[in-house]
Amino acid sequence: MKTTRRQVLGAGVAGSALLAAPGIVRSQPRPPAARTVRAVMHGDVPTFDPIWTTANMAAYHGNMVYDTLFGIDENVQPQPQMVGRHGLSDDKLTLTMELRDGLKWTDGTDVTARDCVASLRRWAARDGAGQHMMERVQDISARDAKTIVMRLKEPYGLVADAMAKTSTPICFMMREREAMTDPMQKIETIVGSGPFIMNERETRPGSQYVYDRNPNYQPRSEPPSWIAGGKVVHVERVIFQNMPDVQTAIAALQAGEVDYVEQPPIDAVPALEADRDIALMDRNPLGNVGWIRLNFLHPPFNNVKARQAVLWAVDQEAHLKATFVDPRFYMKCGSFLTCGTPYESNANTEWFQRGPNRERARQLLRESGYNGEPVTLLQATNILYMTNSAQILAQELRAVGFNIQMVPMDWSGVVQRRAVKAPPDQGGWNIFITSADGLSSSNPIWAAAHAATGERGWFGWPSDELHERLRNEWVQAPDLETRQKVTQRLQENAWNFVPHVYYGQWRTPIAHRRNVTGWINSPGVVPFWNVRKT
Amino acid sequence: MIAYIIRRLIATIPVMLLVAVIVFLLVHLAPGDPASVIAGDNATSDQIAAIRATLGLDRPLWEQFAIWIWRVLQGDLGQSLFWNRGVAELILQRAEPTISLAITTLIFAVTIAIGLGVLAAWKAGSGIDRSVMGLAVAGFSLPVFVVGYLLVYLFAIELRWLPVQGYRPIAEGFWPWLERLILPSIALGLAYLALIARITRTTMLEILAEDYIRTAQAKGVATRPMLFKHALKNAAVPIVTVVGIGVALLISGVVITETVFNIPGVGRLVVDAITRRDYPIIQGVMLVFSAIYVLVNLAVDLSYTLFDPRVRY
Repeated sequence: MKTTRRQVLGAGVAGSALLAAPGIVRSQPRPPAARTVRAVMHGDVPTFDPIWTTANMAAYHGNMVYDTLFGIDENVQPQPQMVGRHGLSDDKLTLTMELRDGLKWTDGTDVTARDCVASLRRWAARDGAGQHMMERVQDISARDAKTIVMRLKEPYGLVADAMAKTSTPICFMMREREAMTDPMQKIETIVGSGPFIMNERETRPGSQYVYDRNPNYQPRSEPPSWIAGGKVVHVERVIFQNMPDVQTAIAALQAGEVDYVEQPPIDAVPALEADRDIALMDRNPLGNVGWIRLNFLHPPFNNVKARQAVLWAVDQEAHLKATFVDPRFYMKCGSFLTCGTPYESNANTEWFQRGPNRERARQLLRESGYNGEPVTLLQATNILYMTNSAQILAQELRAVGFNIQMVPMDWSGVVQRRAVKAPPDQGGWNIFITSADGLSSSNPIWAAAHAATGERGWFGWPSDELHERLRNEWVQAPDLETRQKVTQRLQENAWNFVPHVYYGQWRTPIAHRRNVTGWINSPGVVPFWNVRKT
Repeated sequence: MIAYIIRRLIATIPVMLLVAVIVFLLVHLAPGDPASVIAGDNATSDQIAAIRATLGLDRPLWEQFAIWIWRVLQGDLGQSLFWNRGVAELILQRAEPTISLAITTLIFAVTIAIGLGVLAAWKAGSGIDRSVMGLAVAGFSLPVFVVGYLLVYLFAIELRWLPVQGYRPIAEGFWPWLERLILPSIALGLAYLALIARITRTTMLEILAEDYIRTAQAKGVATRPMLFKHALKNAAVPIVTVVGIGVALLISGVVITETVFNIPGVGRLVVDAITRRDYPIIQGVMLVFSAIYVLVNLAVDLSYTLFDPRVRY
């Protein structure tokens, strides 16, 4: 058989035509660029079910297509969102919530109380705050098509707060059909009642996620405030572009190919500030809090003195400066609940006021009876602030006498290994480094890592009965003043038994093109309503 | 020839099986847990365990392998652990950008490299020769991402001639498609260009020293037909072989290039899958890449008949 060049070329042309054909068939009209906002978020959407996972990007997706009964405002107070009239009975045991008029799913059907009851139940099965709430809930039911009734076993001051929070998983409302799905299984269908509709046809998982304005969405009349208030959409389309290379994202922003970069690297800030077409914005006033988790199950951190030694050894300034460089973007914080919130406190912070103090740390370590056994520190090498802080922490702890053995791996490896309860020499660990958003860290119920319920709790498995009693008191506090007093006692106790150690608090500015305005501050998620492009 | 093709295709089956076993073991024995990634940072151990059970990751490794390989033998590459979509569907969705990038890179690298290689051989020992070989060394030495960032800085940010990143399907127009592939093709093609230019020069130097070339020159054959008709055609077999071998270079380069230039291709798909331990995607893409490599080598072997009539299968 003889193959000619002409045959080879012919086959090539035919192949190209075949390749292009599906694209030609698929192509459809798109909104003009002036009505489309392209945003590079901090990561990829791991799944489209924001209840099934606590991953932030799933919440970002959920925030576009779903709505919430309540939304938290800039005063960290819950405000009605899908709910219209609502009220608590005189005995504080019955909460009645009436859905406001005009709420519709994107399939055209009305949002009903039954949908919301099923959504609340599924969310509460997966969320720590929801579980805490449901332990005090007698029953949730739909009185009629628009009225949800929640009966409590005892007064509980965080019902609306839990439904309004932006820490994950967020209490998104779904159709009853999806909400009846086993909470351990992913939902398959995306039908929401939020300000945007996901364009599944143009969405390419892992590459771009396309959201079109929901023409039937009825926003509230109040001005927007965090995720509360009117969600008025001024653009036709928002595209989340997944760009793993942040330098490419910055270059694309400078060239005007994208409009928004959620987490530009701090070292790119001077170049971005010098660009007259780009503005930087501090979108999340509470920022993030850096956590050093210590494993309570094994020596040396099953001993409180060893944990206190870490508390006295850590120099937050060194950790923060290494990664966040510019003091505008970081601050040291000794408060157990996030600095900058009504719960910031100085109680029992001698370690913070007078520390770091290596001599004191050495003495505490000696008192712990530590005998030099290796201490396994998990280092996530693919996340800059984590790898930097792990190296600094290793030096700090070596300087006071710990025998630190660093175990470098990627973050996925850390999240697998941190779940291992076996001793460090059998695949377990002693220390890992992470962070949490400032809003969830400000609430002892919302952040799962604030619990001290032992092996039932979050990785590190701290255990302290008084801490748990104080967490419950905090929830039941009738007003802010009382809650602040409980916070003082909670913090005094926490810095005695040391469930974890903080290495500071930071904010990452967002960068956007100047012709895209109207950005709303919010911790946890990024609102794309109110945004205008000129 | 058909019998030869069938024999070669049959011979790929044990190769693919071996690849399947190695890839499966590598991805499953490496540290990392997709259930933990899916669950997110706030999840407890119980929640992660529940997700692991849902995904079937709590089953023994041999059982997971048996289920996967049985599906593969039936032509089913499985489902992504993260998105409710088939691996084959995801690969097909990402195939166009990768194939486009591979084609433009091949055209860029092969046409320029052969021209430069022939030129260097013809002017062997001259400044032109040394410049071409210097370029080849630079092409080998500079990592794809360094070249990529330099090109972006110069042509996209400073001069604003070309876009920084992204991909447009060819269905949206030839120029929007091509303009986004120019910089990635240069970045990716430079090492490939260097490889082909060097082998072209070496092979051409041998051919140009042959008696029949001297005879052709003595009979007054002009330089261009002498170089391209008499010499290059006879030098083609080793060049085509290197072009084929270079496909492996291209595949590994595609992964980095697609990341730097934000091209939503198969390379990006597999990098993202590795980061989050989406086992079915990693396994599926590796199998497809292996199959492509095997088939490209088969095509290269078959192409020898185009250049050398003495070769028969």
